[in-house]
Amino acid sequence: MKKIIQRSLFLLLISLFFASLWAEEIQLTAVQILGKADDVINAPQDQDLKIKLILIDKKGKEKVREMSMLQKGSDKRLVKFLSPADQKGIAFLSLPDDVMYLYMPAFKKIRRIASHVKNTKFAGTDFTYEDMEAVRYSDKYIPEFIEKKDNHFLLQLTPKEGIKTDYAKLIMWVREDNFYITKIEHYNRGDKLFKIMIRDKIEKIGEYWLARESEMQDLKSKHTTKMIIEEVKLDSEVSDDKFTKRNLEK
Amino acid sequence: MKKVAELVIKFRIGIIIGTILLTLFFGYSLKDLTINPDIVSYFPKDDPVVELFNYIGEEYGGNQIAIIAIEADEIFQEDIIHNIQEITSDIQMLDGVSYVTSITNVLNIKDDEFGGIEIGKLIDEYELPESLEELQEIKEYTLSKEMYKGRLISEDSKTSLIVCRLDVEADKIKTAHQIKEIINKKDLTAKVFYGGIPFQLIDLSDIMLNDINVLIPIISILIILALFFSFRSFRGVILPLLSVAFSTIWTLGVMSLLNIPLTVISNIIPVILMAVGSAYSIHVINKFNESVVSNENRIEQSKKALGEISIPVLLASITTVVGFAAFVFGAYLDMIRDFGLFSGLGIFFAFVISITFVPSILSIIPVIKTSSKNETNNKKGIILFMDKIGVFVLKNERIIIICGILFFVICILGIPKIQRSVDMLDYFKKGTNIRLTERMMEHKFGGSIPIQILVKGDIQDPVVLSEMKKFEDFLNGQGDVKNPQSIADLIEEMNDVMGDGKVIPDSREKITNLWFLLEGEDVMSQLVNSDYTEAVIQATIVSVNSKRIKQLVNDIKTYLDGMSSSDFTFTQTGMHIIYYKLDDSIMKSQVQSLIIALILIFLIMMFQMHSVSGGLMGLIPIFFTLASIFGVMGYFKIPLDIATVLVGSISIGIGIDYSIHFINRFKKEFQQNHNELEALSKTLETTGRAIVINVITVMLGFLVLIFANLIPLQRFGILVAITMIGSGIGAITLLPAVILITKAKFVGDWSEIKNGIFDKTNSVIKKTKLKK
Repeated sequence: MKKIIQRSLFLLLISLFFASLWAEEIQLTAVQILGKADDVINAPQDQDLKIKLILIDKKGKEKVREMSMLQKGSDKRLVKFLSPADQKGIAFLSLPDDVMYLYMPAFKKIRRIASHVKNTKFAGTDFTYEDMEAVRYSDKYIPEFIEKKDNHFLLQLTPKEGIKTDYAKLIMWVREDNFYITKIEHYNRGDKLFKIMIRDKIEKIGEYWLARESEMQDLKSKHTTKMIIEEVKLDSEVSDDKFTKRNLEK
Repeated sequence: MKKVAELVIKFRIGIIIGTILLTLFFGYSLKDLTINPDIVSYFPKDDPVVELFNYIGEEYGGNQIAIIAIEADEIFQEDIIHNIQEITSDIQMLDGVSYVTSITNVLNIKDDEFGGIEIGKLIDEYELPESLEELQEIKEYTLSKEMYKGRLISEDSKTSLIVCRLDVEADKIKTAHQIKEIINKKDLTAKVFYGGIPFQLIDLSDIMLNDINVLIPIISILIILALFFSFRSFRGVILPLLSVAFSTIWTLGVMSLLNIPLTVISNIIPVILMAVGSAYSIHVINKFNESVVSNENRIEQSKKALGEISIPVLLASITTVVGFAAFVFGAYLDMIRDFGLFSGLGIFFAFVISITFVPSILSIIPVIKTSSKNETNNKKGIILFMDKIGVFVLKNERIIIICGILFFVICILGIPKIQRSVDMLDYFKKGTNIRLTERMMEHKFGGSIPIQILVKGDIQDPVVLSEMKKFEDFLNGQGDVKNPQSIADLIEEMNDVMGDGKVIPDSREKITNLWFLLEGEDVMSQLVNSDYTEAVIQATIVSVNSKRIKQLVNDIKTYLDGMSSSDFTFTQTGMHIIYYKLDDSIMKSQVQSLIIALILIFLIMMFQMHSVSGGLMGLIPIFFTLASIFGVMGYFKIPLDIATVLVGSISIGIGIDYSIHFINRFKKEFQQNHNELEALSKTLETTGRAIVINVITVMLGFLVLIFANLIPLQRFGILVAITMIGSGIGAITLLPAVILITKAKFVGDWSEIKNGIFDKTNSVIKKTKLKK
């Protein structure tokens, strides 16, 4: 009798142990998936891109503008607008520690832009400054595994404590094969879906994966922004002194 | 009419069943009847001003603004700011709301201490100010900016606004309810006011429902009492009541089937039908009581009675329908047209029921045998009173006419004193939430009546922006025009933080640079269109005094006409100009409806009397009535508004009935007796009595509107009640006096009357004495 109890207790303990291991594995997996996804997106040392922005309003009217974007690591970035003509030369410089400068060619003046306005939209697009940041999702969010679906991992991300964000929840689609993020649904604090980002034309450029097109839809204003990468150079050893105020004016 | 009478009596069973079935059918369709309290939705859509107003409303979210005002000892307190922030972000999540603006999320453009610029939110929602120093700092900053002071925060820092722009497709009432719900859940310590049309609509629809639920029972009880004391019989109460109830159900049923909602005006159709429509069945019952005296041969008697009474009842109802129909043509507001149309239809239904259903029932139920005791009782009561009136008229005809003329002149002198009121807020009683909110808004934020200017041209052109700014300065100089706002202000603000001063930049390049930073901000879509070919200048005005508005509309027009450029255009619209048009239309529609009603009624009277002078004479009580309406409005400061404008022609339509009935009866009695005295006293005893009963019931019916919650309806009720007395008195005193003194030929042959009127008065007195 005693033996039976001991044995069953032992079995119970064993199964509990494995059950917890199994649970942990899923937990780990969610974190791992997000970690890998972060790695894939931030893989290139630097990026030199020419981007076409298409802004589409709710009536379907389109506005097109072009910009060049130079990025090194996750915290140095120089954006210059190339067209239309009346916006040519407007430039932003982002440096570590949330330092950002703006250059207005018509005024020939550089101004520092305050950093706490991350939820404002970037240059008339549906991307906020927050969306444009090259931050690792793992640093800001706690992932949770939902399911596997159509060759994708579905993760639910909730912000870590103390993180300032407009998003109360993200549902993220991560490709099973290459861990590229293809879609993010953004939920507001009322737990309502209000923005959807979709990445398309995911290509392998050199050893890196890159989405040629990304789209952000604002469901409330029915406004959409398409970002199309027209030219791309990766790991071209961009020097640090490209990211200076003087270079902003050039 | 005889044929109709015969048919009615022949098919009486079928008529009774048919009427009940129809009533059940229409009663069932009532379930789909809706209420639309939104007056704005009834502005004529083809009027260019309204068209532009609606266009701006749709494209720039201009007309669908719900305002929440938070009032506390001090807005800049930790918990209040926290509340405002929460409410703002909760409302932003509602489907029906396109944008919310409050001090916690409003766009802010400023330069910081490091020479940088900041285009962001006035208050960082993730780091709400908590310490007293932080709060004091943000308070001082906010109050120093014209963009916020007097717009989102009052100068005394005690009231702050949360401004919600509703989606064009949003259900305004539903969204307003949802907003209220959000705030009610918050358990605020601060006082909350709700302003703007969406919230006003909630109150209006509640008021309308309440009015229907309260007024109909009151008027029913009043009419029951009036009928009971007049007829002292069950049938005398129940039949008129059924006929008005049926006609009301039919009318509302038709409205429901045609998908036409009740409005703030047509809301009173039931009251009108009950007050006016009961008269027709009263006349029929009266006639039956008088003529159908025995159970033998009652079918023939019924046919004869109905044949005789149906003509005056038909005329009376036609004239009343005409009174309402006078509004169908050329009404500025569709809801006035609908009101005229369906009130007229209801009157027609009441007429049909009173000459079909009512006599059908009367011919079936047993005849009332009037006991002699009853008769003497009556003789002592109202008939005796009518006799006295008869004697008085005969004795004093000249005095009556002179008094009538005097009264008329005094009233006419009051006409220039009549004021006009088109202000929608004027509909609500003082002390209601809407009025309190509006007073607070006027006081602290410069009113909420929008003035809008649509600018077309190249908005990024410095010339256009400067013109916009100049025009705003012009508006600012008007004194009572507050808070002019446009993209030009934002550009100036931006130019200032770039260090070039608070002016419109001199080059297009600078403007487009600044513009670039504003793009995508919520506020932009309320100020310019997406390809920058159109912009809106918005402002508010405090008062809607008719004279002031007219002046402002003209001043703006003069200013805009003076701008000479083909490169851009400025066009004026807004509630102020719609009020101006409404005001103008009220005057026009007053004059027009009166003329239409007078002409039509003159024609009807002429047709009835076969005499032009007869037609004119029938109009005498009408002129008397009209004078009394306008006199009362002038002397007692009852303004002409969207409801009181209706009184004139409605009173003509109802009041003329008394003349028709009176002349009809007098003519018959005169031709029978060849004695004006006999004719007069007989007419007064019968028709005169019916008129007095009718005046009392109609008057009481309309006086019920005093209990209405909407001021125009109250005024309307009082005025109609007064005019009923006017036209009643006119018909039984002034009208006979004029007939007697002119010896009007249309009533018959006066040649056989030997003695003059003054000689006859003695014999009347003798006769009445003899009778006793």
